[in-house]
Amino acid sequence: MRRFLLLLLMPSFASAATLVVDVRDARGAAVADAVVYALPEGRQFPPASRTAVMDQKNRTFIPHVLAVQTGTAVRFPNSDDIRHQVYSFSSAKTFQLPLYKGTPANPVWFDKSGVVSLGCNIHDRMSAYIVIVDTPHFGVTKKNGRAEVPTVGAGRYALHVWYPEMKDEPAAVPLTLAAADRKELTVTIRK
Amino acid sequence: MPRASAGLLIALLAFASAANADDALQWSGFALLRASNGVERGPLREEKLSAQVQVGIDWTPTPFLGAHLHLLARDDDAGARRGKLGIPEAYVDANFVPAGGRLRLRAGAFFLPTSRENVDALWETAYTITPSALNSWLGEEFRPVGIDAQYSRRGLMAGATIYRGNDTFGALPAARGWSLRDHWATLGEWIPVDAEYFTSVSAENDERLGWSARGSWTGANALLQLTHIDNRADGLAYGRLFNWGTRFDIVSGEYTAGDWTLAAEAGWGPTFLIVDGVKYTTDLKTGYVLVSRLFAHGRATVRGDTFSVNDVDHHALTLAYFWTPPGHFRPGIELATSGGEHRAIIELRYSFAGH
Repeated sequence: MRRFLLLLLMPSFASAATLVVDVRDARGAAVADAVVYALPEGRQFPPASRTAVMDQKNRTFIPHVLAVQTGTAVRFPNSDDIRHQVYSFSSAKTFQLPLYKGTPANPVWFDKSGVVSLGCNIHDRMSAYIVIVDTPHFGVTKKNGRAEVPTVGAGRYALHVWYPEMKDEPAAVPLTLAAADRKELTVTIRK
Repeated sequence: MPRASAGLLIALLAFASAANADDALQWSGFALLRASNGVERGPLREEKLSAQVQVGIDWTPTPFLGAHLHLLARDDDAGARRGKLGIPEAYVDANFVPAGGRLRLRAGAFFLPTSRENVDALWETAYTITPSALNSWLGEEFRPVGIDAQYSRRGLMAGATIYRGNDTFGALPAARGWSLRDHWATLGEWIPVDAEYFTSVSAENDERLGWSARGSWTGANALLQLTHIDNRADGLAYGRLFNWGTRFDIVSGEYTAGDWTLAAEAGWGPTFLIVDGVKYTTDLKTGYVLVSRLFAHGRATVRGDTFSVNDVDHHALTLAYFWTPPGHFRPGIELATSGGEHRAIIELRYSFAGH
Protein backbone atom coordinates (compact mmCIF):
# COMPACT_ATOMS: atom_id res chain seq x y z
CA MET A 1 0.00 0.00 0.00
CA ARG A 2 2.86 2.34 0.91
CA ARG A 3 4.56 1.61 -2.36
CA PHE A 4 1.27 2.31 -4.23
CA LEU A 5 0.91 5.71 -2.55
CA LEU A 6 4.50 6.57 -3.34
CA LEU A 7 3.93 5.66 -6.96
CA LEU A 8 0.95 8.01 -7.05
CA LEU A 9 3.13 10.79 -5.70
CA MET A 10 5.78 10.24 -8.35
CA PRO A 11 5.81 12.52 -11.38
CA SER A 12 4.62 10.77 -14.51
CA PHE A 13 6.81 10.26 -17.57
CA ALA A 14 4.29 12.25 -19.59
CA SER A 15 5.52 15.42 -17.91
CA ALA A 16 9.17 14.36 -18.13
CA ALA A 17 12.00 16.84 -18.42
CA THR A 18 15.53 16.07 -19.54
CA LEU A 19 18.55 17.15 -17.58
CA VAL A 20 21.97 17.35 -19.23
CA VAL A 21 24.90 17.87 -16.90
CA ASP A 22 28.42 18.78 -18.02
CA VAL A 23 31.02 18.03 -15.35
CA ARG A 24 34.34 19.88 -15.52
CA ASP A 25 37.37 20.07 -13.29
CA ALA A 26 38.88 23.34 -12.07
CA ARG A 27 40.89 23.68 -15.30
CA GLY A 28 37.81 23.19 -17.44
CA ALA A 29 38.67 19.65 -18.58
CA ALA A 30 35.86 17.15 -19.07
CA VAL A 31 35.44 14.68 -16.17
CA ALA A 32 34.38 11.16 -17.13
CA ASP A 33 32.88 8.64 -14.69
CA ALA A 34 31.20 11.28 -12.53
CA VAL A 35 27.78 10.32 -11.17
CA VAL A 36 25.10 13.00 -11.37
CA TYR A 37 21.77 12.44 -9.70
CA ALA A 38 18.70 14.52 -8.96
CA LEU A 39 17.01 14.05 -5.58
CA PRO A 40 13.44 15.41 -5.51
CA GLU A 41 12.47 17.71 -2.68
CA GLY A 42 9.78 16.36 -0.39
CA ARG A 43 9.32 13.10 -2.25
CA GLN A 44 10.69 9.58 -1.98
CA PHE A 45 10.95 6.84 -4.53
CA PRO A 46 10.27 3.20 -3.79
CA PRO A 47 13.30 0.91 -4.01
CA ALA A 48 14.08 -0.23 -7.53
CA SER A 49 13.53 -3.83 -8.56
CA ARG A 50 16.12 -3.79 -11.31
CA THR A 51 19.28 -5.72 -12.07
CA ALA A 52 22.56 -4.18 -13.15
CA VAL A 53 25.87 -5.74 -14.17
CA MET A 54 29.47 -5.14 -13.07
CA ASP A 55 31.64 -7.27 -15.36
CA GLN A 56 35.29 -8.25 -14.96
CA LYS A 57 37.42 -8.61 -18.06
CA ASN A 58 41.21 -8.65 -18.46
CA ARG A 59 41.46 -7.86 -14.73
CA THR A 60 39.38 -4.71 -15.11
CA PHE A 61 35.95 -3.97 -13.66
CA ILE A 62 33.59 -2.82 -16.41
CA PRO A 63 32.27 -0.19 -15.93
CA HIS A 64 34.68 1.60 -13.61
CA VAL A 65 31.75 3.50 -12.08
CA LEU A 66 28.27 2.03 -11.93
CA ALA A 67 25.33 4.09 -10.66
CA VAL A 68 22.21 2.28 -9.46
CA GLN A 69 19.07 3.13 -7.58
CA THR A 70 18.65 1.85 -4.05
CA GLY A 71 17.20 -1.64 -4.14
CA THR A 72 19.01 -2.69 -7.31
CA ALA A 73 20.55 -6.16 -7.53
CA VAL A 74 23.97 -6.23 -9.20
CA ARG A 75 25.41 -9.28 -10.93
CA PHE A 76 29.18 -9.76 -11.04
CA PRO A 77 29.99 -11.98 -14.03
CA ASN A 78 33.64 -12.91 -14.50
CA SER A 79 34.45 -12.77 -18.23
CA ASP A 80 38.11 -13.56 -17.59
CA ASP A 81 39.92 -16.87 -17.94
CA ILE A 82 41.15 -16.58 -14.35
CA ARG A 83 39.43 -16.44 -10.97
CA HIS A 84 38.38 -13.30 -9.14
CA GLN A 85 37.27 -12.63 -5.58
CA VAL A 86 35.26 -9.42 -5.39
CA TYR A 87 34.98 -7.63 -2.05
CA SER A 88 33.78 -4.39 -0.52
CA PHE A 89 34.67 -2.98 2.89
CA SER A 90 32.33 -0.02 2.39
CA SER A 91 29.67 0.67 5.00
CA ALA A 92 27.00 1.04 2.30
CA LYS A 93 27.49 -2.67 1.51
CA THR A 94 30.13 -4.91 3.03
CA PHE A 95 30.43 -8.19 1.19
CA GLN A 96 32.79 -10.69 -0.37
CA LEU A 97 32.03 -13.11 -3.19
CA PRO A 98 33.70 -16.51 -3.22
CA LEU A 99 36.62 -17.08 -5.55
CA TYR A 100 34.91 -17.78 -8.87
CA LYS A 101 34.81 -17.95 -12.66
CA GLY A 102 31.64 -17.44 -14.70
CA THR A 103 28.64 -15.81 -13.07
CA PRO A 104 27.74 -16.32 -9.41
CA ALA A 105 24.25 -17.70 -8.94
CA ASN A 106 23.03 -14.86 -6.75
CA PRO A 107 23.41 -11.15 -7.40
CA VAL A 108 24.27 -8.73 -4.61
CA TRP A 109 21.40 -6.55 -3.43
CA PHE A 110 22.28 -2.90 -2.72
CA ASP A 111 19.64 -1.73 -0.28
CA LYS A 112 21.32 1.34 1.20
CA SER A 113 22.45 4.54 -0.51
CA GLY A 114 26.13 5.41 -0.52
CA VAL A 115 29.36 4.63 -2.32
CA VAL A 116 30.72 1.10 -2.49
CA SER A 117 34.38 0.71 -3.34
CA LEU A 118 35.10 -2.65 -5.01
CA GLY A 119 38.32 -4.60 -5.15
CA CYS A 120 39.56 -8.09 -5.93
CA ASN A 121 41.48 -10.08 -3.35
CA ILE A 122 43.54 -11.79 -6.04
CA HIS A 123 44.32 -8.71 -8.12
CA ASP A 124 45.18 -5.61 -6.12
CA ARG A 125 45.16 -3.43 -9.22
CA MET A 126 41.41 -3.93 -9.80
CA SER A 127 39.12 -1.23 -8.44
CA ALA A 128 35.67 0.15 -9.24
CA TYR A 129 32.78 1.94 -7.60
CA ILE A 130 29.07 1.37 -7.26
CA VAL A 131 27.17 4.53 -6.36
CA ILE A 132 23.74 3.79 -4.89
CA VAL A 133 21.32 6.70 -5.00
CA ASP A 134 17.77 7.20 -3.70
CA THR A 135 16.40 8.26 -7.06
CA PRO A 136 15.88 6.79 -10.52
CA HIS A 137 17.12 10.06 -12.03
CA PHE A 138 20.85 9.60 -12.42
CA GLY A 139 23.55 9.30 -15.04
CA VAL A 140 27.29 8.73 -15.39
CA THR A 141 29.35 11.15 -17.45
CA LYS A 142 31.02 9.93 -20.61
CA LYS A 143 34.48 10.89 -21.89
CA ASN A 144 33.13 14.29 -22.96
CA GLY A 145 32.10 14.96 -19.35
CA ARG A 146 28.40 14.96 -20.17
CA ALA A 147 25.62 12.85 -18.73
CA GLU A 148 21.99 12.89 -19.72
CA VAL A 149 19.46 12.25 -16.98
CA PRO A 150 16.22 11.50 -18.78
CA THR A 151 12.63 11.32 -17.57
CA VAL A 152 12.92 13.74 -14.72
CA GLY A 153 9.46 14.78 -13.65
CA ALA A 154 8.50 18.41 -13.19
CA GLY A 155 9.29 19.76 -9.74
CA ARG A 156 12.09 20.88 -7.49
CA TYR A 157 15.30 18.86 -7.17
CA ALA A 158 18.72 18.98 -5.64
CA LEU A 159 21.39 17.97 -8.14
CA HIS A 160 24.35 16.07 -6.66
CA VAL A 161 27.64 15.09 -8.24
CA TRP A 162 30.06 12.40 -7.10
CA TYR A 163 33.42 11.53 -8.57
CA PRO A 164 35.95 8.90 -7.34
CA GLU A 165 38.87 11.27 -6.86
CA MET A 166 37.18 14.51 -5.91
CA LYS A 167 38.46 16.25 -2.78
CA ASP A 168 35.02 17.14 -1.45
CA GLU A 169 31.52 16.78 -2.75
CA PRO A 170 30.29 20.07 -4.21
CA ALA A 171 27.18 21.62 -2.70
CA ALA A 172 23.97 20.33 -4.23
CA VAL A 173 22.57 22.52 -7.01
CA PRO A 174 18.88 23.42 -6.53
CA LEU A 175 16.82 22.93 -9.69
CA THR A 176 13.27 23.62 -10.69
CA LEU A 177 12.15 21.69 -13.73
CA ALA A 178 9.00 22.29 -15.72
CA ALA A 179 7.25 19.65 -17.78
CA ALA A 180 9.07 18.75 -20.99
CA ASP A 181 11.91 21.04 -19.97
CA ARG A 182 15.43 20.41 -21.27
CA LYS A 183 17.90 21.91 -18.88
CA GLU A 184 21.65 21.95 -19.43
CA LEU A 185 24.08 23.00 -16.75
CA THR A 186 27.77 22.74 -15.95
CA VAL A 187 29.15 21.63 -12.60
CA THR A 188 32.77 22.18 -11.61
CA ILE A 189 34.43 19.79 -9.18
CA ARG A 190 37.77 19.86 -7.35
CA LYS A 191 39.76 16.72 -8.15
CA MET B 1 58.36 -29.15 8.15
CA PRO B 2 59.28 -26.26 10.45
CA ARG B 3 57.32 -25.98 13.67
CA ALA B 4 55.87 -22.60 12.64
CA SER B 5 54.46 -24.06 9.43
CA ALA B 6 53.03 -27.06 11.24
CA GLY B 7 51.39 -24.70 13.73
CA LEU B 8 49.89 -22.68 10.93
CA LEU B 9 48.53 -25.78 9.25
CA ILE B 10 46.91 -26.91 12.48
CA ALA B 11 45.40 -23.45 12.97
CA LEU B 12 44.02 -23.46 9.44
CA LEU B 13 42.53 -26.92 9.82
CA ALA B 14 40.96 -25.80 13.09
CA PHE B 15 39.48 -22.80 11.30
CA ALA B 16 38.16 -25.07 8.56
CA SER B 17 36.59 -27.44 11.07
CA ALA B 18 34.91 -24.57 12.89
CA ALA B 19 33.50 -23.21 9.65
CA ASN B 20 32.18 -26.66 8.75
CA ALA B 21 29.68 -26.48 5.88
CA ASP B 22 29.40 -22.74 6.11
CA ASP B 23 29.61 -20.77 2.84
CA ALA B 24 32.63 -19.05 4.35
CA LEU B 25 34.61 -22.19 3.61
CA GLN B 26 35.52 -22.74 -0.01
CA TRP B 27 37.85 -24.99 -1.92
CA SER B 28 39.02 -24.70 -5.51
CA GLY B 29 41.88 -25.92 -7.63
CA PHE B 30 42.88 -27.99 -10.62
CA ALA B 31 44.33 -31.26 -11.81
CA LEU B 32 46.52 -31.40 -14.87
CA LEU B 33 48.15 -33.90 -17.17
CA ARG B 34 51.11 -32.76 -19.20
CA ALA B 35 53.10 -34.35 -22.03
CA SER B 36 56.26 -32.97 -23.62
CA ASN B 37 59.00 -33.98 -26.01
CA GLY B 38 61.20 -34.44 -22.94
CA VAL B 39 64.20 -32.21 -22.34
CA GLU B 40 66.83 -33.67 -20.03
CA ARG B 41 68.87 -30.62 -19.04
CA GLY B 42 69.15 -26.88 -19.30
CA PRO B 43 66.56 -24.18 -18.71
CA LEU B 44 63.86 -26.09 -20.62
CA ARG B 45 64.25 -29.32 -18.63
CA GLU B 46 60.92 -31.16 -18.61
CA GLU B 47 59.71 -34.71 -18.06
CA LYS B 48 57.91 -36.47 -20.91
CA LEU B 49 54.83 -37.05 -18.78
CA SER B 50 53.80 -35.35 -15.58
CA ALA B 51 50.74 -34.69 -13.47
CA GLN B 52 49.79 -32.25 -10.73
CA VAL B 53 46.90 -31.54 -8.42
CA GLN B 54 46.64 -28.26 -6.53
CA VAL B 55 43.89 -27.27 -4.13
CA GLY B 56 43.26 -24.01 -2.34
CA ILE B 57 41.10 -23.98 0.79
CA ASP B 58 39.84 -20.54 1.79
CA TRP B 59 37.97 -19.59 4.90
CA THR B 60 36.58 -16.04 4.86
CA PRO B 61 34.00 -15.54 7.62
CA THR B 62 34.02 -11.80 6.86
CA PRO B 63 35.76 -9.66 4.23
CA PHE B 64 38.02 -8.47 7.04
CA LEU B 65 39.39 -11.87 8.02
CA GLY B 66 40.51 -14.89 6.04
CA ALA B 67 42.74 -17.93 5.97
CA HIS B 68 44.23 -19.75 3.01
CA LEU B 69 45.75 -23.19 2.67
CA HIS B 70 47.36 -24.29 -0.59
CA LEU B 71 48.03 -28.00 -1.11
CA LEU B 72 50.05 -29.52 -3.93
CA ALA B 73 50.68 -33.05 -5.19
CA ARG B 74 52.80 -34.02 -8.21
CA ASP B 75 54.19 -37.22 -9.64
CA ASP B 76 57.52 -35.67 -10.70
CA ASP B 77 59.56 -34.21 -7.85
CA ALA B 78 62.61 -33.47 -10.07
CA GLY B 79 64.88 -35.26 -7.63
CA ALA B 80 63.72 -33.28 -4.61
CA ARG B 81 63.29 -34.62 -1.09
CA ARG B 82 59.70 -34.36 0.18
CA GLY B 83 58.71 -32.79 -3.14
CA LYS B 84 55.71 -34.87 -4.20
CA LEU B 85 53.16 -33.73 -1.65
CA GLY B 86 53.17 -30.58 0.41
CA ILE B 87 52.05 -27.08 1.27
CA PRO B 88 53.23 -24.19 -0.89
CA GLU B 89 51.26 -21.60 1.09
CA ALA B 90 49.44 -21.32 4.41
CA TYR B 91 48.52 -17.92 5.81
CA VAL B 92 45.95 -15.79 7.56
CA ASP B 93 44.84 -12.33 6.42
CA ALA B 94 43.40 -9.41 8.36
CA ASN B 95 42.08 -6.35 6.54
CA PHE B 96 41.58 -2.85 7.87
CA VAL B 97 40.28 0.30 6.17
CA PRO B 98 42.08 3.26 7.74
CA ALA B 99 41.77 6.70 6.13
CA GLY B 100 39.95 5.49 3.03
CA GLY B 101 42.67 3.01 2.15
CA ARG B 102 43.13 -0.72 2.67
CA LEU B 103 45.65 -2.21 5.05
CA ARG B 104 46.20 -5.93 4.71
CA LEU B 105 48.24 -7.85 7.25
CA ARG B 106 49.27 -11.35 6.25
CA ALA B 107 51.00 -13.91 8.44
CA GLY B 108 52.24 -17.32 7.39
CA ALA B 109 53.95 -18.71 4.29
CA PHE B 110 53.05 -17.02 1.01
CA PHE B 111 54.23 -16.05 -2.45
CA LEU B 112 55.42 -12.46 -2.56
CA PRO B 113 52.55 -10.72 -4.40
CA THR B 114 54.67 -9.06 -7.07
CA SER B 115 54.47 -11.25 -10.18
CA ARG B 116 52.82 -9.68 -13.22
CA GLU B 117 52.59 -13.14 -14.73
CA ASN B 118 51.33 -15.37 -11.92
CA VAL B 119 48.05 -13.52 -11.57
CA ASP B 120 45.59 -16.40 -11.13
CA ALA B 121 44.57 -18.03 -7.87
CA LEU B 122 47.18 -20.44 -6.44
CA TRP B 123 49.87 -18.23 -8.03
CA GLU B 124 49.20 -19.75 -11.45
CA THR B 125 50.24 -17.92 -14.57
CA ALA B 126 47.35 -16.94 -16.81
CA TYR B 127 49.48 -16.73 -19.91
CA THR B 128 51.68 -19.78 -20.47
CA ILE B 129 52.14 -23.32 -19.19
CA THR B 130 55.57 -22.57 -17.72
CA PRO B 131 56.41 -19.15 -16.26
CA SER B 132 59.32 -16.86 -17.06
CA ALA B 133 62.79 -17.51 -15.68
CA LEU B 134 62.18 -14.85 -13.01
CA ASN B 135 58.93 -16.30 -11.72
CA SER B 136 60.11 -19.90 -12.14
CA TRP B 137 62.90 -18.98 -9.73
CA LEU B 138 60.66 -17.17 -7.25
CA GLY B 139 58.21 -20.08 -7.30
CA GLU B 140 60.91 -22.68 -6.80
CA GLU B 141 63.18 -20.98 -4.30
CA PHE B 142 61.46 -18.06 -2.53
CA ARG B 143 58.59 -18.26 -0.08
CA PRO B 144 58.52 -15.74 2.75
CA VAL B 145 57.50 -17.32 6.04
CA GLY B 146 56.63 -14.30 8.13
CA ILE B 147 54.54 -11.15 8.20
CA ASP B 148 53.55 -8.92 5.30
CA ALA B 149 51.87 -5.51 5.55
CA GLN B 150 50.42 -3.81 2.51
CA TYR B 151 48.69 -0.44 2.41
CA SER B 152 46.96 0.80 -0.73
CA ARG B 153 45.01 3.97 -1.41
CA ARG B 154 43.96 5.68 -4.60
CA GLY B 155 46.17 3.60 -6.88
CA LEU B 156 49.28 3.81 -4.71
CA MET B 157 50.52 0.81 -2.78
CA ALA B 158 53.36 0.23 -0.33
CA GLY B 159 54.20 -3.12 1.18
CA ALA B 160 56.85 -4.66 3.40
CA THR B 161 57.66 -8.21 4.48
CA ILE B 162 59.78 -9.64 7.27
CA TYR B 163 60.41 -13.33 6.98
CA ARG B 164 62.29 -16.40 8.13
CA GLY B 165 63.64 -19.15 5.91
CA ASN B 166 64.92 -18.68 2.36
CA ASP B 167 68.58 -18.71 3.44
CA THR B 168 69.51 -20.65 0.29
CA PHE B 169 67.64 -18.25 -2.02
CA GLY B 170 69.97 -17.63 -4.98
CA ALA B 171 71.46 -21.11 -5.20
CA LEU B 172 69.32 -22.24 -8.13
CA PRO B 173 70.16 -19.58 -10.73
CA ALA B 174 73.74 -19.14 -9.47
CA ALA B 175 74.78 -22.77 -9.10
CA ARG B 176 72.29 -24.92 -11.01
CA GLY B 177 71.20 -22.44 -13.69
CA TRP B 178 67.98 -20.65 -14.58
CA SER B 179 64.96 -22.69 -15.60
CA LEU B 180 61.52 -22.21 -17.09
CA ARG B 181 59.29 -24.56 -15.13
CA ASP B 182 56.46 -24.40 -12.62
CA HIS B 183 57.91 -26.37 -9.76
CA TRP B 184 56.48 -24.50 -6.76
CA ALA B 185 58.52 -25.39 -3.71
CA THR B 186 56.58 -26.79 -0.78
CA LEU B 187 57.41 -26.07 2.83
CA GLY B 188 60.14 -28.41 4.01
CA GLU B 189 61.06 -29.57 0.50
CA TRP B 190 64.74 -29.90 -0.41
CA ILE B 191 65.42 -29.24 -4.10
CA PRO B 192 68.79 -30.39 -5.51
CA VAL B 193 71.20 -27.66 -6.61
CA ASP B 194 73.95 -30.04 -7.66
CA ALA B 195 75.18 -33.49 -6.68
CA GLU B 196 75.99 -32.36 -3.13
CA TYR B 197 73.86 -29.41 -2.08
CA PHE B 198 70.17 -28.64 -1.79
CA THR B 199 68.04 -25.53 -1.52
CA SER B 200 64.92 -25.10 0.58
CA VAL B 201 62.50 -22.24 1.20
CA SER B 202 62.32 -23.48 4.79
CA ALA B 203 66.09 -23.22 5.37
CA GLU B 204 66.73 -20.97 8.37
CA ASN B 205 70.35 -21.69 9.25
CA ASP B 206 71.73 -18.37 10.47
CA GLU B 207 68.69 -17.10 12.43
CA ARG B 208 68.74 -13.82 10.51
CA LEU B 209 65.43 -12.41 9.32
CA GLY B 210 65.09 -11.44 5.67
CA TRP B 211 63.06 -8.52 4.42
CA SER B 212 61.40 -7.19 1.31
CA ALA B 213 59.75 -3.89 0.37
CA ARG B 214 57.64 -2.93 -2.61
CA GLY B 215 55.67 -0.04 -4.00
CA SER B 216 53.41 0.40 -6.98
CA TRP B 217 51.33 2.88 -8.87
CA THR B 218 48.19 1.75 -10.67
CA GLY B 219 46.40 3.84 -13.28
CA ALA B 220 43.31 3.06 -15.28
CA ASN B 221 45.13 0.60 -17.57
CA ALA B 222 48.70 0.54 -16.34
CA LEU B 223 50.79 -0.51 -13.37
CA LEU B 224 54.39 0.20 -12.35
CA GLN B 225 55.99 -1.60 -9.44
CA LEU B 226 59.34 -1.72 -7.66
CA THR B 227 60.41 -4.55 -5.35
CA HIS B 228 63.50 -5.15 -3.27
CA ILE B 229 64.34 -8.50 -1.66
CA ASP B 230 67.15 -9.14 0.81
CA ASN B 231 67.40 -12.54 2.48
CA ARG B 232 70.31 -11.38 4.71
CA ALA B 233 71.84 -14.86 4.63
CA ASP B 234 75.41 -15.28 5.87
CA GLY B 235 76.75 -17.19 2.86
CA LEU B 236 77.98 -20.17 4.90
CA ALA B 237 77.42 -23.89 4.47
CA TYR B 238 75.22 -25.80 6.92
CA GLY B 239 75.46 -29.47 6.10
CA ARG B 240 73.98 -29.96 2.67
CA LEU B 241 72.38 -26.52 2.60
CA PHE B 242 74.54 -23.62 1.46
CA ASN B 243 73.32 -20.16 2.42
CA TRP B 244 73.42 -17.62 -0.40
CA GLY B 245 73.21 -13.97 0.59
CA THR B 246 70.97 -12.47 -2.05
CA ARG B 247 69.80 -8.93 -2.66
CA PHE B 248 67.52 -8.60 -5.66
CA ASP B 249 65.57 -5.72 -7.23
CA ILE B 250 62.62 -6.12 -9.56
CA VAL B 251 60.96 -3.50 -11.77
CA SER B 252 57.58 -4.55 -13.13
CA GLY B 253 55.14 -2.97 -15.53
CA GLU B 254 51.84 -3.88 -17.06
CA TYR B 255 49.51 -2.30 -19.58
CA THR B 256 46.10 -3.57 -20.62
CA ALA B 257 44.00 -2.33 -23.51
CA GLY B 258 40.78 -4.17 -24.21
CA ASP B 259 41.66 -7.83 -24.69
CA TRP B 260 45.40 -7.17 -24.89
CA THR B 261 47.94 -7.32 -22.09
CA LEU B 262 51.55 -6.21 -22.16
CA ALA B 263 53.56 -7.24 -19.10
CA ALA B 264 57.24 -7.02 -18.34
CA GLU B 265 59.55 -7.54 -15.38
CA ALA B 266 63.28 -7.08 -14.97
CA GLY B 267 65.31 -8.19 -11.97
CA TRP B 268 68.95 -7.97 -11.00
CA GLY B 269 71.18 -8.26 -7.98
CA PRO B 270 74.18 -9.95 -6.42
CA THR B 271 74.30 -13.16 -4.44
CA PHE B 272 77.30 -14.44 -2.50
CA LEU B 273 78.65 -17.39 -0.60
CA ILE B 274 81.74 -17.82 1.53
CA VAL B 275 84.07 -20.79 1.07
CA ASP B 276 87.12 -21.16 3.32
CA GLY B 277 86.75 -17.54 4.38
CA VAL B 278 86.72 -16.24 0.81
CA LYS B 279 83.59 -14.44 -0.42
CA TYR B 280 82.45 -15.26 -3.95
CA THR B 281 79.85 -12.95 -5.52
CA THR B 282 77.67 -13.79 -8.49
CA ASP B 283 75.57 -11.29 -10.43
CA LEU B 284 72.10 -12.43 -11.42
CA LYS B 285 69.96 -10.75 -14.07
CA THR B 286 66.72 -11.75 -15.70
CA GLY B 287 63.72 -10.23 -17.40
CA TYR B 288 60.85 -10.95 -19.69
CA VAL B 289 58.31 -9.21 -21.88
CA LEU B 290 55.03 -10.84 -22.79
CA VAL B 291 52.15 -9.88 -25.03
CA SER B 292 48.87 -11.73 -24.61
CA ARG B 293 45.46 -11.59 -26.20
CA LEU B 294 42.28 -12.85 -24.60
CA PHE B 295 39.70 -14.36 -26.98
CA ALA B 296 36.12 -15.39 -26.29
CA HIS B 297 37.26 -18.99 -25.73
CA GLY B 298 41.02 -18.81 -25.65
CA ARG B 299 44.19 -16.92 -24.94
CA ALA B 300 47.37 -16.58 -27.02
CA THR B 301 50.66 -15.37 -25.57
CA VAL B 302 54.19 -14.77 -26.77
CA ARG B 303 56.95 -14.18 -24.23
CA GLY B 304 60.63 -13.36 -24.58
CA ASP B 305 62.98 -14.13 -21.68
CA THR B 306 66.54 -13.17 -20.94
CA PHE B 307 68.57 -14.52 -18.02
CA SER B 308 72.21 -14.33 -17.10
CA VAL B 309 74.79 -15.30 -14.48
CA ASN B 310 77.79 -12.97 -14.33
CA ASP B 311 76.75 -11.34 -17.60
CA VAL B 312 76.72 -14.58 -19.60
CA ASP B 313 73.39 -14.07 -21.35
CA HIS B 314 70.81 -16.63 -22.41
CA HIS B 315 67.47 -16.09 -24.07
CA ALA B 316 64.24 -17.97 -24.50
CA LEU B 317 61.16 -17.50 -26.63
CA THR B 318 57.83 -19.04 -25.59
CA LEU B 319 54.54 -19.26 -27.48
CA ALA B 320 51.40 -20.55 -25.79
CA TYR B 321 47.73 -21.00 -26.55
CA PHE B 322 44.97 -22.01 -24.16
CA TRP B 323 41.55 -23.09 -25.35
CA THR B 324 38.99 -22.12 -22.73
CA PRO B 325 35.60 -23.55 -23.68
CA PRO B 326 32.78 -23.27 -21.14
CA GLY B 327 33.12 -25.93 -18.50
CA HIS B 328 35.95 -27.32 -16.46
CA PHE B 329 38.56 -28.37 -19.04
CA ARG B 330 41.30 -26.18 -20.49
CA PRO B 331 43.60 -27.72 -23.11
CA GLY B 332 46.81 -25.83 -23.79
CA ILE B 333 49.94 -25.99 -25.89
CA GLU B 334 53.29 -24.31 -25.38
CA LEU B 335 56.37 -24.15 -27.60
CA ALA B 336 59.66 -22.86 -26.22
CA THR B 337 63.16 -22.52 -27.54
CA SER B 338 66.40 -21.55 -25.80
CA GLY B 339 70.06 -22.06 -26.68
CA GLY B 340 69.34 -24.52 -29.46
CA GLU B 341 66.98 -26.63 -27.32
CA HIS B 342 63.31 -26.86 -28.22
CA ARG B 343 60.44 -27.88 -26.00
CA ALA B 344 56.82 -28.65 -26.83
CA ILE B 345 54.26 -29.20 -24.08
CA ILE B 346 50.60 -30.08 -24.30
CA GLU B 347 48.49 -29.91 -21.20
CA LEU B 348 44.95 -30.75 -20.18
CA ARG B 349 43.77 -28.95 -17.07
CA TYR B 350 40.58 -29.67 -15.13
CA SER B 351 39.44 -26.95 -12.74
CA PHE B 352 37.07 -27.50 -9.84
CA ALA B 353 35.54 -25.53 -7.01
CA GLY B 354 33.06 -26.04 -4.22
CA HIS B 355 31.94 -24.90 -0.80
